[in-house]
Amino acid sequence: MRPVTTAVAVGENADSEGGHDASTVGLPSGKPKSMFRLGAEVFLQNRLAVVGLGVLGVALLFCFVGPFVYHTNQINTDLMASTLRPGQPNHPLGTDQSGYDELGRLMVGGQTSLEVGFAAAFIATLVGTLWGAVAGFVGGAVDSLMMRVVDALLAIPTLFLLLFLVTIVRPDIEVMICVLGLTAWLVPARLVRGESLTLRVREYVQAVRVMGGSSRRAVVRHILPNVAGTVIVNATFQVADAILLIAYLGYLGLGISPPATDWGAMLSNGTNYIFPNYWWLIYPPGVAIILVVVAVNFVGDGLRDAVEVRLQRR
Amino acid sequence: MGRRCMKLPRLCAAVVLVIAVLSACSARGAGVAGTGGAGKATNTATFALPAAVTPNWIWPFAAVQDMGVQNIAFLQQLMYRPLYWFGDSNGGPAVNSSLSIAQLPTFSPDGKTVTIKLKPYTWSNGEEVTAQDVVFWMNMEKAEKQNDGAYVPGQFPDNITSVRTPDASTIVLTTSEAYSQQWFTYNELGQITPMPTAWDVTGPGHAGTCATSTAGCAAVFSYLTAQAKDLPHYATNPLWQVVDGPWKLKSFNSDGHVTFVPNLSYAGPVKPTLAQFNETPYTSEAAEFNVLRGGKAIDVGYIPPQDLSGPKPAGAAPAAAGPNPISGYTLAPEYLYSINFFPLNYNNPQVGPIFKQLYFRQALQSVVDQNAIIHAASAGYGVPTNGPIPLYPASDLISSLEKANPYPFSLSAASDYLTSNGWKVVPNGTTTCVRPGTGAGECGAGIAAGRALTFDLQYYSGQQTVATAMASLKSNAAQVGITLNISGAPFNTLTGTAVPCHGSGCTWQMENWGGGWNFAPDYYPTGETLFLTGAGVNVGSYSNPAIDKLIQATNHDSGTAVMQAYEDALARDLPVIWQPDYPYQLTEIAGGLKGVTPQNPFATLTPENWRWSK
Amino acid sequence: MIRFLLRRSLQAVVVVLVVTVDVFVLLHQLPGGPARAVLGARATPSQVAFFNHQNGLDRPLVAQYFTTLGHWAGGNFGFSYTLNQSVGSLMMQRLPKTLVLNLLALLLTIVVAVPLGIYQAVRRNKAFDYLATGVSFVLYAAPVFFLGVVMLVFFSQELNLFPPEAPQGDGVGPIFAEPRAMVLPVVTLAFLGIAGFSRYMRSSVLDNINQDYVRTARAKGCSSGRVLTRHVLRNAMIPIVTLIGLSLPTLFAGALVTESIFNFPGMGLLFWQAAQDSDYPVELGVVLVTAVATVIGTLLADICYAVIDPRVRLGA
Repeated sequence: MRPVTTAVAVGENADSEGGHDASTVGLPSGKPKSMFRLGAEVFLQNRLAVVGLGVLGVALLFCFVGPFVYHTNQINTDLMASTLRPGQPNHPLGTDQSGYDELGRLMVGGQTSLEVGFAAAFIATLVGTLWGAVAGFVGGAVDSLMMRVVDALLAIPTLFLLLFLVTIVRPDIEVMICVLGLTAWLVPARLVRGESLTLRVREYVQAVRVMGGSSRRAVVRHILPNVAGTVIVNATFQVADAILLIAYLGYLGLGISPPATDWGAMLSNGTNYIFPNYWWLIYPPGVAIILVVVAVNFVGDGLRDAVEVRLQRR
Repeated sequence: MGRRCMKLPRLCAAVVLVIAVLSACSARGAGVAGTGGAGKATNTATFALPAAVTPNWIWPFAAVQDMGVQNIAFLQQLMYRPLYWFGDSNGGPAVNSSLSIAQLPTFSPDGKTVTIKLKPYTWSNGEEVTAQDVVFWMNMEKAEKQNDGAYVPGQFPDNITSVRTPDASTIVLTTSEAYSQQWFTYNELGQITPMPTAWDVTGPGHAGTCATSTAGCAAVFSYLTAQAKDLPHYATNPLWQVVDGPWKLKSFNSDGHVTFVPNLSYAGPVKPTLAQFNETPYTSEAAEFNVLRGGKAIDVGYIPPQDLSGPKPAGAAPAAAGPNPISGYTLAPEYLYSINFFPLNYNNPQVGPIFKQLYFRQALQSVVDQNAIIHAASAGYGVPTNGPIPLYPASDLISSLEKANPYPFSLSAASDYLTSNGWKVVPNGTTTCVRPGTGAGECGAGIAAGRALTFDLQYYSGQQTVATAMASLKSNAAQVGITLNISGAPFNTLTGTAVPCHGSGCTWQMENWGGGWNFAPDYYPTGETLFLTGAGVNVGSYSNPAIDKLIQATNHDSGTAVMQAYEDALARDLPVIWQPDYPYQLTEIAGGLKGVTPQNPFATLTPENWRWSK
Repeated sequence: MIRFLLRRSLQAVVVVLVVTVDVFVLLHQLPGGPARAVLGARATPSQVAFFNHQNGLDRPLVAQYFTTLGHWAGGNFGFSYTLNQSVGSLMMQRLPKTLVLNLLALLLTIVVAVPLGIYQAVRRNKAFDYLATGVSFVLYAAPVFFLGVVMLVFFSQELNLFPPEAPQGDGVGPIFAEPRAMVLPVVTLAFLGIAGFSRYMRSSVLDNINQDYVRTARAKGCSSGRVLTRHVLRNAMIPIVTLIGLSLPTLFAGALVTESIFNFPGMGLLFWQAAQDSDYPVELGVVLVTAVATVIGTLLADICYAVIDPRVRLGA
């Protein structure tokens, strides 16, 4: 087992805090803190992660609670009110090409983007991590077979797969989540398998084996937590990727059917208007995507540090 | 600790600053660029090809997939003149006798003999354009009609019983029936492009016999097809250098960069003054527009409607230009002679019976707000479609009924059509049939009680105008309780699904690929390819015997009255749902380049008219 | 090692074949078939039937697949339905340009991201780390079609530093004749990669800095720099190697948006256009090239694992 030594091991932010070191964390004034509590503490010490969580919370409120507070008609078009500038009496952020109020559109689009982003990333990470961990740990023919399946799927151009899937099914939200999840699990699978390969020859894993632990225990209790760092970083990128991929699909004309929309489709439509400078169609969805994705990444960083702590306390 | 806390606000501030700078810069960006006239110094003109198309077929005998405007208008007709030219000097769709290689045909009193006299033109290898060249084309057509995209079974050349050449510049055709003079000239004779005897070869140095008999045409066809598939050698192949038009190829690149130089032996009325004419390709409209704005590379280009600084004033004529954000260029909207619509599948077992009821089509057409769509999706540039004859450019074929629009946008009229025919209209809900049956005031045959007006409509999502139009249609239809489940699809899915069918597998309902119909090379807008029962392109299987009779009449009787009779009947019968017709492109012409307008309604180019003013 | 290579090569061939079968089958499931998409809306049913017969599309699927396979074995990649050129010549025109664009972008990515990631890991939690993290997050989050257009507007239209389109013309000659015009496309493509690669690099270096062997080396008196380059770097490079291997397919066909924005027709646009037009021979040709590139990429990545980390026992 790895001994706890310097402050380096206890989360990234410990040294500049100056206050924490091995002597004050979990010392006997009673029972040691639980893993979860420890992780949560470290997470909360990371200011950026907390800010990220806050931004996500605000985004969720804006998108899901906002429409109850700020009523707009997002179903019926109003073509004569097309592309109005912000500042109109009923439209603080102007309207888009079909006459929908832009602020209301941001809320509706955000619902889709957030739902698809998190759900697809969850599916992709879950499937990919398990696949890769098992493949890397078991090794041999099973590893070869599993990885060749991944290779075969990776080799089909994503664009083609998406084009095919979108063509044969009607693109509503649930379908898009499945489609995106199923195309995105390949990268985490390969990444995790790569790390798993190196980990299974590490001393502590071999120790588990020697002590009579089962393979399943080795995978779940030892391999998975140690690839957690890479997995968490990858998971946060998966959320970003899912939101961006659905934006890309909207750009190609393969996205969700109207009157539903998402931030990416709004942005892609908006970039058509960059020359006449219809900024209210371009920057609000763009900034929304960037803010949410950056926030998710900060949270991911915080989670990674929290998981690191758990590792150190074994 | 303090330093770390400040990072995030600083980052946010930086992002906000960048955005502000970008917004300010973009605002300043409007109106910049275009000194226009990049080619003036060298007396050349550069023409921007439409986005993502490149010319790739040089032989004016093409299968249907090679009959695009990029091949016919931007490559072939510059060099190989068709027998008859369409698009008059005012930009109207009439035949242009001064640019045609032959004089207008004369018809015998019984209408079955057509005499064509050629004008004196020469090929660039010194030979004259003779009647033999026309017969060469006709023989090729007879032998290889399966390989000609313009072939319609029963029409050209099946309806020609004999071809005679009394002298070197006269051709006499005898037809099996008497046809309308306009239809025959525009849609049948308009297919002919005389071919030089230099092309009557089966190999280098091996003469063929296709110009004299149809038996020799198969070998010549294979050889010329093989040459036409050899793109890298288009500019050097001696075959393609034999031209009778005002231009010949200087260089050809399969990526779309093509240059032409004047053909000095061109015998037509207007000789080129430019030293060189260039075509350049672009991957997308946005890419072309970025280059156009620079003002250095394009003389005749186009601006995507989204980049206009403002819409055209309401009520202005279609050809009028609104505000133009590019200085140094003139904006000239270019419309093709076309109509726009999307089909309904009359043979669908579930919804076909509803589509077959005229009152339903009247209701559906009445919820299409064409003027609002034109305003929102195309900045005011567009012409509504009210019937089978295009409303622009003006011609005497347009009837007053069609111009007045039998089904203007009116939600109350749509509601009336439905309620007076046995439906209970529930605005923003579901309209259902409450009086089934086949009597007056009842829903109609095959429609059960409680039947709801719910349909699937797939459309081409890659085109902004179509997407906006469909969102608007869905919204308006919902207000009279018609539920349209719209979904976007790629172009090839749509064209693959919308095919004539029958039986239980015939499941498509409505499909909109945004294209409508372009009257080229069928320049005379009769309806036998579109709306005749069993016509090849009648994908919805629309069938109306009374209309069939009127269509047959337009093919056989001359004059505008018979056309207007067909037009009025079809405008009233709504075989398809009409949609707004948008400009082919919003052309931007460099200041100082004259002769580009009026633009041809069949997209053909006449760069021999273009000249730089001093 | 030889046994390993042989075995993996065999597996690679199998994977490529499986991919071609997959794509072939999927292609023919798309509704309508290629005829109507290729021939256009004006095609009559008899023209559709004629086209299908001419191109063997009315034969059973299995027969069509083996005919295609036979042609590929002979080096004949088919003839495009819509572009009137052989698929081979189309790829010869477009592939070099795509490769140059993507290789330059990958090179720029590695040159910037690896040192950046290491520096961030070493100077963890300092001002530079936060700034670089923030900037790379923002770059990752901005969709490429947005970023490309903004770059174009700002650097080309406003500041007039670069031309508005990539170099035009045949082959790779014009690319090197006009390097200024390649700057914007390469940088646009590289942004995304820099953001991703530097994050993985940083995380991976951090993971390794905490390992026993690092402490041991330091305890034995090695300098930080030596520890970094001689010990940490090799192990930290593993995710990067994976990412490079994974990005091999995109080297061949992955820059659709950039190609479209900067007027640089390459393999990405070729595939997208072919997909829109149901041009099966071109689609199959591009998929074949991408599949081969992918399996080679993953094979190279696996070899690198073994080279970098001797603790990995391959084929055990």
